Amino acid sequence: MKLLDITKEIGTATYGYPFEPYEVHEGFRGKPEYTYDKCIGCAACAIACPPNAINVTYDKNEDKLKWEFDCGRCIFCGRCEEVCPTNAIALSKEYEMAVKFNKNDLLTKGYLEVVKCKKCNKPFTTKRLVNYTIERLEAAGKTVTDKIIENLHTCPECKKQTAVEKFVKTSHFGGTK
Amino acid sequence: MSKKPTVIMPNDIIDANSVEEKLKLLKDIKRSFNVFRVDCGSCNGCEIEIFAAITPMWDPERFGFKLVASPRHADILLCTGPLTRQMYYPLLRAYKATPDPKVVVAVGACGCTGGIFHDSYCVWSGIDSTIPVDVWIPGCPPHPASIIYGLATALGILDQKLKETINNADDGTPPFIQEPVLGTVLFERDVYMEAKRLMGYLFGKKLYEKFINAVKSSKDPKNIEFTKFAVLKAIENEEDSRYAECMALLFNNVYLKFVKKEKKVTPEEIITLGEGND
Repeated sequence: MKLLDITKEIGTATYGYPFEPYEVHEGFRGKPEYTYDKCIGCAACAIACPPNAINVTYDKNEDKLKWEFDCGRCIFCGRCEEVCPTNAIALSKEYEMAVKFNKNDLLTKGYLEVVKCKKCNKPFTTKRLVNYTIERLEAAGKTVTDKIIENLHTCPECKKQTAVEKFVKTSHFGGTK
Repeated sequence: MSKKPTVIMPNDIIDANSVEEKLKLLKDIKRSFNVFRVDCGSCNGCEIEIFAAITPMWDPERFGFKLVASPRHADILLCTGPLTRQMYYPLLRAYKATPDPKVVVAVGACGCTGGIFHDSYCVWSGIDSTIPVDVWIPGCPPHPASIIYGLATALGILDQKLKETINNADDGTPPFIQEPVLGTVLFERDVYMEAKRLMGYLFGKKLYEKFINAVKSSKDPKNIEFTKFAVLKAIENEEDSRYAECMALLFNNVYLKFVKKEKKVTPEEIITLGEGND
């Protein structure tokens, strides 16, 4: 009977979950929330992700950049949030993530339009990234000339090629310039 | 690397474990659910959370979950870990020993897809590579509430929240860039980088917002006296002393450099904290 009195004094310690909501503590790292409108497809998160839960690939059938997140593989480290330049991905407090029968429910996908290189016509980045770069340059007080825009629409491989060609034409290699 | 042995599941096990049979079991069962836990090479993080979930704090025996010591007594198999090669046959034996129909739950990132070990040579990456899985509980490790939620979803007490989302409406519009305070986004960039360096990415983000709001609240952000007054006010109102100190550092190290390009900073302009307290 003494034990019953003690329990009465202390009350119920058990959480009411799942019959009433449970609040996780401050700073809890739950499901990464993806804001599609903010994503520029720079793939920084895909490079930072330790278990490759985020994959950024070029989808040939759709002719678009595919951003894919597999919640089942995520280890909730928060590196994607750390590197995202536009805060498109941020860890939420969501912890109710279990799915049944269909594993595809764990996936989040986003398709982004690609830009093709002006010289070799290969896709290399997204439209959003190019436009974002131009807007940031303007906001930083730089005048965006046609040369800059053309540079932005050229893939790194072609840029390398043109730089080498220019260098070969200089007087060091017997060129005219 | 040797090839994974192909699992030949007897037909009677497959027939006895269809979705209809499982739903019938969940509906008609008139006793507690017995749970057997299989550790398939887990790091024991998930085990700790499972044991946290069966303590009186969470008490899953309210809705009839009991941990049992043998798969022959079990209805539900809780499988953790990325399924190492050594645990391949023991898992199959545990699966075959469980009476039909059985519910298999994969717990943790490793159990769902292999997690951080997904491309390792010594694992088969996920429980579903070998035996059919019904419920996946992601998390590394999952919170006890997540485990309770997963078990409750398996029983049909709660509904599943996540759905596959596919975003496919892009017209190339870049995300909105906020109006720069000092006329150039380079200031915001430098403040953000310095804030991250001072307090890390999580608190650095909050510090950045607090500092930018303080600068915005000044009458003229380009005027040092007004901005110093506004930042000092924000520092006074700040309850957390870490933010207060870092805001002063941001003002001294980033803001003053931006406003006074080459001229030297005079001592009157610098914010010093803790003066006269000791």
